[in-house]
Order: sequence, then structure tokens, then C-alpha cells
Amino acid sequence: MSQTATTDLGRELVPANAQSRKAFQDQAFQILSSRFEGILDPADRWGLTVILPGPKLHEAVRFLRDDSEFQMDLLLDVTAIDYLEYPGHEEARYAVVYNLRSQRNAARRLRLKVRVEEESPSVPSIHDLFKIANWQERETWDQYGIVFAGHPDLRRLLNHIEFQGHPLRKDYPARKRQWLSTNDPLVDPMVARLKANGFSVLEAPTANAPSVEETDLLGKVSREQRNNVEKQS
Amino acid sequence: MKVLTPQGEKIDLLTVNIGPSHPATHGALRAFVALDGETIAGTVTEIGYLHRGFEKMVEQGTWQQVLPYTDRLNYCSAILNNIGFCHTIERMFEVDIPERAKVLRVLLSELSRIIDHVVCVAAAAADLGALTNYFYLFNPREKVYGIWEKLSGARLTNTFTRIGGLYRDTYDGFESEVASVLVEVEKGLDDAFRLLQHNRIFIERTRGCCPISAEDAVSWGWTGPCLRATGVDRDLRKDEPYLDYETYDFQTVVGSTGDTFDRVMVRMYEIKESISICRQALTRLRPGPINTTDPRLILPGHGKAYHDMEALINHFKVVFEGVCVPAGEFYGSIEAANGELGFFVVSDGSGKPWKIKVRPPCFTQFAAYADLVEGSMVADAIACLSSINIIAGELDR
Repeated sequence: MSQTATTDLGRELVPANAQSRKAFQDQAFQILSSRFEGILDPADRWGLTVILPGPKLHEAVRFLRDDSEFQMDLLLDVTAIDYLEYPGHEEARYAVVYNLRSQRNAARRLRLKVRVEEESPSVPSIHDLFKIANWQERETWDQYGIVFAGHPDLRRLLNHIEFQGHPLRKDYPARKRQWLSTNDPLVDPMVARLKANGFSVLEAPTANAPSVEETDLLGKVSREQRNNVEKQS
Repeated sequence: MKVLTPQGEKIDLLTVNIGPSHPATHGALRAFVALDGETIAGTVTEIGYLHRGFEKMVEQGTWQQVLPYTDRLNYCSAILNNIGFCHTIERMFEVDIPERAKVLRVLLSELSRIIDHVVCVAAAAADLGALTNYFYLFNPREKVYGIWEKLSGARLTNTFTRIGGLYRDTYDGFESEVASVLVEVEKGLDDAFRLLQHNRIFIERTRGCCPISAEDAVSWGWTGPCLRATGVDRDLRKDEPYLDYETYDFQTVVGSTGDTFDRVMVRMYEIKESISICRQALTRLRPGPINTTDPRLILPGHGKAYHDMEALINHFKVVFEGVCVPAGEFYGSIEAANGELGFFVVSDGSGKPWKIKVRPPCFTQFAAYADLVEGSMVADAIACLSSINIIAGELDR
């Protein structure tokens, strides 16, 4: 156990203060606006959010991570905002927000935002730039129904495979209940995983989950009970 | 599952669900593995078993009603989650809380961090078969819960902070009780150190077990003790000080290899630092107000509300409409026990949140789990899982 940092990542630490934050924000916005057509998001009063056109996103994130001096190497979060009936909102219904931070300089925090139209909501995936983006994009797809084009495995993450709809959309009723019965066999992702690890799969088991009717026969849930749940929702 | 190995050998892989049946997976994590003998050839993880819709439900109530929900994110250190949320909202209001509230929040933060780390360390050793440790560490933890009970009336879900301050002031004898608990924690920690630090079985089961490089850890979005175990010296308390953390004297603890041993040890040394911060906070505790006086946040006192019409209207509006957070979007974060706990908040200026997205530290750590354990043994997978300290509540929200 050592008390000093041993990797390069630990050495160039700069603590944040109001002045260094402001300097970074000015510099970053200037570059993002001139190179990637970024515009300032008026909704952000306390930090820096830059709105980027969707096709520029991947390039901009890669630039911020590798080529620029900023070294924004930590993707904290990917999420979406549903502006349906937001007071005074006239832009596209959704926005996808990418929350970035630099591990080397604490003053460097930045959010990128891509506006997404209601019809066929889609943004390019950045799973190849950050490993964690894979799960974060899956979660955003699950909760908001926004497609991340180029994502290798866009499955639901928090909700069940049989779940219909996207619960964090404003038009999804908070008290709605859905009846979900089969479990996820996870065989397909496992086959993909094994292939990625260098195995070739000769024979995989077929999904063997009980159907809804079988569950009924087992007496666990009567059809009547299930209908009641559907009626309430 | 019949496969050809990368070497071209035809073998039969056995597919097993490690979680939810294994006790180390708390019944809320599913890790589906394909085994070649005892070696893990492939892992797929699934989450969402505890999903209770935090982000949907907070949109139904007022800003103050979010607080009890935040308790339930990380039930090992509920007060830290309260502080994280309140701190974020206070920064949106641009209000400052009084000195005593700050010192108390630091004190409660560090006590929470201690009990959170204690759970992780004790459970990690227990998952490896060493139960004695558990009792050495859990007895002082129980005393901390005693303090929580006296402070807030609840053991696990305290909801002790408020937007703009704290629920109420401390009770008589609080300081001496905290001081004596710190001594007990220190003793339990020393006992645990003596049991683990030179224990051949513990070292051989954890050294070199599921290591991760600093670059990979950053790419996976790791923060907190698990990232520091890889040698990256990052701690929000130092980098972006809040609650006057820059005035406290403490060190960030870093590891070197990022293996299971480092992850456990970083937590054990961090408990020492937290004890030191708690003692410093105790010496700073002076009598004073614990809530801001900003009328946008705080109910007027009874004396005022009964005699002053404006105060009565204010009282009415804060209760019925909730506090009206300025319209806009903000991300605020604190260093929780597990790493950066962030809240991305969208407000439309009304008394209800438009959106609150939690950035849980566990999420990024568990996402990397499949990569971490592939190629190691089943027993290593269990040791690894306890060392990355998964809290299903904030993983699934």
C-alpha cells in the first residue's frame, strides 16, 4: 500500500476553483463552436452545456478525449430528457445528454447535448470510445426509447425483456403496471460474449422458459388475477 | 454448450447462474457464467431486479419528497445520499448553509462512509469464509446506528438533511457518543487489520485477483475507492471541495495494482482517514443555527406564521407547492462512499422536479464485472464482487 500515485493518470492533478472552471469553459466552448458547430445551451446556468448536431457528436467526443488538451477521459453519465409539455419549450422533444469529466484536471466538466426529434429518435453510439457507454446507452434506450445507431447490443437494461414502452417518457403513466412472466435466458448474449473471447460456439441450448399458459397451469397465477392487473393499468 | 476453445480444442462448457443463488450476490444480481472446469470462459450480467423506478417516482411529487427516495439508493450510507441531493439543490439555489450545518454534515458524511466501508470490508472477508472479522467490525457499526436512531428516529433510512440545512439539531451527549464510537471503530479496525493484513489465506485469495488497469478503470467510468485502488489519486473532497473539505487535514489513499486486495485495503485505510476527519469536525462543532434563513427554502417559525400574514402565505406555499428550484439544468455530485454520486437535475421552475437522473457509482463498477472475472476462477469472482461493493439500490434505482 503506497500513499503516492503510481500511474501517469494520478500526477497532473489540478484542483478546481471558480477561475480555472471559467477559463476551461470559455476555451472549450470556443473550440466546440468553431470545429463542431456547437451552440451554448441557455438552460444551463451553473456549468457548461454545449448543444451539438447529432452527426458531429462522435467526432467531438473523440476529439475531447484524445486530441484536445482537455483530456476528457471520464464519461460520467448518458441520459435523455423528455421535454414533452415543458413550459416554453419549442425545440425537438428529446435531448440526449453526455456528462464528461477530465480525470486530470478537476475544473474540466462539460455536458454535451444532442437534440433528438420525436419521429425515429436516433443518435450515433459512442460505445467504441468509452467502455461504460455500452451500458449507459442501453439504459437510455430502455428508459426513453432513443436508438443509439451502431450500438452492438441494444437490449433493455433495467426493465424486463417483455416490457412494452419506455417508462421515463412523460406520456408513460407512472402507475401503469405490466404483467411480465418469462425470464431472460441470456443465451444469445453469452454466445456473443464467448465469440468475442475467441471461442467458436458449436451448439447452444435453446431458450427454455415457461410460457404464460404453463405458469397458469402450475397454479401460480390465475388468468383472472392477470386480467385484473391488466385492467388496473 | 459445445464450443471450440481459442486453441481449437472441442470442449463442453457448463452454464451456471452464479447470482442470484449465491449469498454474495444479495439475491438481486444475476451473473450468468459459462464454465470450463472452474475457469470462467464467459460472463453475462443482468440487473434490474430491484428496479423501483426512482427516476419516474420523483417526478410525481415535490422537491422535498425526493429526499426519502434518496435514502433508499444506498441503504448502507443513507445520509450521504441525502447530503448529495441537498447539496446539489442548494447549489442551484446558490444558497450557503450555516457553519454548524456544514460541520455536522461533514461529521455525518464521514460516519456514513465509515459504516459503508465497514460493511464492504466485513462482507468481503465473510464471503471469503472469514467470519470473525464481521463481528469485530459490525459491533461498532451497530453503535453508529444507535446514533442515527437518536438523531433521526430511524436506523437505515434516516432522511436527516433538508434542502437548506438539517432536519434538527443533535441531542445532548452527541459529541461524547460520537467520540466513543470512533474509539470503538478504531479498535475494531485494528483487530481486522491484524486478522487480514498478514493472513496468508486472505492475501493469496485476493492478491492478483481480478485486477484492472487505471486506463481501463477510467474507461469504465470508475470513481471512488475502486478507482483509487488502481493508483489514480482522485477524490472529489480534494479536487472540488464542498462543505469546506479543503480545511480538513486528510490524505487520499491510493493502491497500486487495482486487484481485490487493493480494493479492500484502500477502504480499510480510508476508514482511518475518516476517523481523523470526524475528530477534527468534533473540535469545530460550535452552537449555532442549522438551517439557512432563505425564505424560499425554509418554513417560517410558528411565532411568525401565527402572527404575520406574509409568513403564513410563505408557509402555505412551501408546504403545498414545494420549494421552487430555479429553472435550468444542473449536475451536482459529492464523493459518496463508493465514488462519485451525482444528480443530474432538470427543473422547470415549479415545485416539482422535471427530471432527476442519479449517477450511481455502482453502475459503472458492476458494468465492468463481466470483463473483470473472465479468465479467473469462480471463487475469484465472488472475492471480486464483494470488493467492488455493489449496492443494488443505486445500481438499479
